[in-house]
Amino acid sequence: MKSWRPRWPKRCMLLAVLSLAALLWTGSAFAQTSGAIAIVTHPDTRVDDVTFLELRKIFLGEQQFWSDRTRVILLVRAPVAYERDVVLNRIYQMREAQFRQYWVAKVFRAEVSSGPKIVYSTDMARQLLAALPGAVAFVAARDVSPEMKVLRINGKLPGDSDYPLQ
Amino acid sequence: MGSFGAMRVILTTVITGLLIPFSSAAPQQLSTTPPVQILGFADINYVETDRDIDEGFFLGQLVGHVSAGLSERVTLFNEVSVTARPDRYRIEVERLFLRYDFSDWLKVSGGRYHTPISYWNTAFHHGLWLQTTARRPEMIKFGTKLQPVHFVGLQIEGAFPTTPLGLAYAAGVGNGRAEDIGRAGDSGDVNNHRAWLVNVFSRPLAIPYLRIGAAAYGDRATTDDDIEFDETIVSFHAVWLREDPEVAVEYARIAHEPRSDGETFDSDAYYVQVAYRLPGRGSPFKPYVRFEEVDVPDDDPLFAPFDLDYEGVVAGLRIDFTTLAALKVEYRSEEFETNERFGSLYVQASLAFGQTGGTVPAMESVTGVRP
Repeated sequence: MKSWRPRWPKRCMLLAVLSLAALLWTGSAFAQTSGAIAIVTHPDTRVDDVTFLELRKIFLGEQQFWSDRTRVILLVRAPVAYERDVVLNRIYQMREAQFRQYWVAKVFRAEVSSGPKIVYSTDMARQLLAALPGAVAFVAARDVSPEMKVLRINGKLPGDSDYPLQ
Repeated sequence: MGSFGAMRVILTTVITGLLIPFSSAAPQQLSTTPPVQILGFADINYVETDRDIDEGFFLGQLVGHVSAGLSERVTLFNEVSVTARPDRYRIEVERLFLRYDFSDWLKVSGGRYHTPISYWNTAFHHGLWLQTTARRPEMIKFGTKLQPVHFVGLQIEGAFPTTPLGLAYAAGVGNGRAEDIGRAGDSGDVNNHRAWLVNVFSRPLAIPYLRIGAAAYGDRATTDDDIEFDETIVSFHAVWLREDPEVAVEYARIAHEPRSDGETFDSDAYYVQVAYRLPGRGSPFKPYVRFEEVDVPDDDPLFAPFDLDYEGVVAGLRIDFTTLAALKVEYRSEEFETNERFGSLYVQASLAFGQTGGTVPAMESVTGVRP
């Protein structure tokens, strides 16, 4: 006689595994699209704290030198990155097209010697921050590593209440 | 070695000297030296008018702009235009200067500039795509005799962007107007009397879209029959640097005081321009209007031969059909020296170009990989 065994435990296990995978996937996706953005600089940069208005002036290319006369080198993530969306929205207060138009005008007017350098990943930003004195970039707060110097904005660090780039 | 040989050696040396910094800078992707960046602008126009001038299609200007970092602090800026003329294309070096950046508040440069006594002149240069309207205001149009559009000499400039007033300044000394007073003294000072200029403007931290400023310019100008005048230009501007609305107002007074006894002649010019970028789905559309006037005394010996009096109303629509290209349709009602009013329709397609891929050349990756 053919023994009969219920199939539901297998189905339940399969369902549980799929659910867990889905949860992990959505969790990681959520992690990519939320969280505070840290403003990080080359470790030797002699600035610890900036106001939000000063930060805007730096990212707009209006303040081009740090207080020790090192030239500010802007590192900006390539389009599509979540960090870029936050920075364009909060700091630049521009859409993608406006951002591009802004830098075309800025370079053409000779107001800056060059526009921002594009970086494609946090790792790339990390390497360039270490290699280029005066470099400043933005990364997700969870990606901050010890060799990065995190700037306070209005005295706040990522994770503090009222931090402007949450 | 003959003079031709000597010339060839000099030319070779100069060209090699210009190329070495670029060739040596190119592989140093992790340098703090600003990279070489190239931008271009172009415009194509169609004109219908009551005026007794040619109508039809016109190629406007093809403009190339290069900024090249020679070191972390030294940058060469160059703007060259190619303009269609009835019998040829005219190539002109519009800007060419070498600048040393000491800091935000002190940058020293030498070369040929657009004279920073007018907001429009230094905000838009020859990039017609940048400006809202199809044409410049009459008071600072290309080739005008009213104000010196170009300036050849030395300049210091700087800004204090994080101070409450957000002050910036420029000051310069140079050749002043050429024998043709609509041109700069590119090959020396015609009367050996240097021109000077000072320009100060503020962009207050608390009102980030406001810019207000003033400028002054002094030179000695000479008429064709060798009468010398001290020329003083004083100008003011106020600009709201947004598009909802966009507002720009400029005023200039040009005074000519004879070196010998006699009357001083004052000319006035202004424009008021308002534009508004429509919200939401209408955002590609920006209607605009401009009122402008140039009032020159009939007996000003320096200006009288050029019939500079002008009054105009401009109304138009700018359509940004893509990120770096726009179509402008503009109606102009203008009154010139003859007190007769003319209507004109201008249609202009203007564009900017750099590299493809969604970024300007300035943003070329430090890895050398273009997005």
